[in-house]
Amino acid sequence: MAMTYQEFPGVEWVEGAGDYIKVDAEKCSGCANCVRVCLAQCFKIAGKKAVVDNLDRCMECGACWYVCAPDAIRFSWPPGGTGFRTLWG
Amino acid sequence: MPSFLFDRKAKIQPHVQREGVRAMATTPKTDYDVIVVGAGFGGPVAARKCARAGLDTLMLERSDVPGEKVVSGLVIPIYGFLYGPEFIRKGNPPIERPICSVVNRLVKGGRIVKTDRSLRMPRPFTLGYAAYCKPFCTWLADRATKAGAELRTRTAAVDVIMEDGEVVGVVTDRGEELRARVVIDAGGTQNPLAIKAGIRRKYPPEAIELYMLWDYEMPKRDVDEVFGHSMEFFHAYPEEGIGAPLGYGSTFYIFTYRDSIHPGLGQFLVTEGEIPNLAKLIPQYQENFTARVERWKRDIAPRTRLRAVMWDVCPIYAGLIPSAREMPIYTGGMIVTGDAAGFEASAFGDGVPNAWFSAEIAGETAVEAVRAGDASASFLARYEERVRAHPFIIKTISDRRRWDMRELLAGRDEAEFARKVRDHWGIGAFRYGNMGGPVLKASAKALRESPLVALEWIEMFRRYFDNWERNRFDPLSGTRRGLTPVPQARGEA
Repeated sequence: MAMTYQEFPGVEWVEGAGDYIKVDAEKCSGCANCVRVCLAQCFKIAGKKAVVDNLDRCMECGACWYVCAPDAIRFSWPPGGTGFRTLWG
Repeated sequence: MPSFLFDRKAKIQPHVQREGVRAMATTPKTDYDVIVVGAGFGGPVAARKCARAGLDTLMLERSDVPGEKVVSGLVIPIYGFLYGPEFIRKGNPPIERPICSVVNRLVKGGRIVKTDRSLRMPRPFTLGYAAYCKPFCTWLADRATKAGAELRTRTAAVDVIMEDGEVVGVVTDRGEELRARVVIDAGGTQNPLAIKAGIRRKYPPEAIELYMLWDYEMPKRDVDEVFGHSMEFFHAYPEEGIGAPLGYGSTFYIFTYRDSIHPGLGQFLVTEGEIPNLAKLIPQYQENFTARVERWKRDIAPRTRLRAVMWDVCPIYAGLIPSAREMPIYTGGMIVTGDAAGFEASAFGDGVPNAWFSAEIAGETAVEAVRAGDASASFLARYEERVRAHPFIIKTISDRRRWDMRELLAGRDEAEFARKVRDHWGIGAFRYGNMGGPVLKASAKALRESPLVALEWIEMFRRYFDNWERNRFDPLSGTRRGLTPVPQARGEA
């Protein structure tokens, strides 16, 4: 099954992607860099730490991971055949 | 006719074709000469090269259909076609529009205050070809499988297998261990595999641009009337609010396709020393552009309908930042290519030609390594030597012109701004490093070696244009009919 969202037409997300982006709460400094660069609003700050709110509209760009100074974000690919896809890239 | 897009599944079963014997594998193979990770723009080029040399070659692709996870408003510059893989030049790839000119506009107060049209070619000659990634990557992957390479889609390579400090294979997301004499990594910008292998680290954020794209349907007659065969850049000082500060991102652009347009813009993850609030800024630039710029409101918007919104990152300044540039591009048993190796041209932000060039070199090196029975780091060092000797790769990744636009931020000198734009994205592109110097040098060399190459180029320009004008490719259905045949004169088919 694939999900679509009104604000991002032309793109769909195939289910089964799982938690392919994770925040290590011990390393996280709460700087919110990840929140600032994520166009899908995947992150939120809770208790002075960044947490992954949801990866529903994540396009797997990894911007969060690049800007994470304490290297608290773990980024990998979702399992093959899952996650975002588009005909118009 | 080649199959396209939606009937790929018929083609993904493993098949082996060597020395005239064709057999279907009954159990999944786990041992190969070469494994290529990624079937984007570079991977299939490397895989095809290896398969044609008779090597047992596997391509791994994490998406269901090649190219459907590749996001890149795409005009592939002409030097990729002229000096890249012969099978692309002599094939009929699915192009969306031949691009003959670059129109540079300076925007002030929502108005176009200056237009530079100095960079243009008479048709059928072009500066590049617009394309959607999915049909193009699928076409490339088809060429590789037709040459005998195996393609496994829906398979992510998540780790490498190391023995005695050398890479001897990969582990898939299903935990399968696949072995190979050489692993070629064409996994794209983020590239977790080469990081796992300890060859590379994640790029510093200063090297990475986050870009957002919008795809709009627009009737072909309107694209023809409003743009013709041009693409447009809209340059502005930051106070216009329609793009990143100069030198810190891709200015708002409109790429033109057959019956759609593909605007986009981007900003680096670090801007003037800070990590900007791109979640807010990038959508804001687009909103401002569409609300304020007259050309958009009057000539374009009434004829369009939004079809898709996407984004991704690319390592545009990887060649300019020492910590990114100095990362290794090979190790024992493994070669890294394309964006994964930081080969993104820094002036225009194009990655496809360098992906093609480096994939060809990687394929050639892998063939030699397998034949020699030596995939050690000292043997694979020739990959880096050839990359360094290549007329385009290092030159294009170390071009400073886009970066140097930052110098304009201190003052508001419009004449200087116009001059820099012309030098960078206008006719100056032919005088300076990126396109001009290397293109002219490489052309002169190619013509000296074989004057007939000029005829080959002209034939390609004409055939590509002919196919386009007759609308012989439909990206939606993947239909291709009545393509102009490729002359089978010399070289590989």
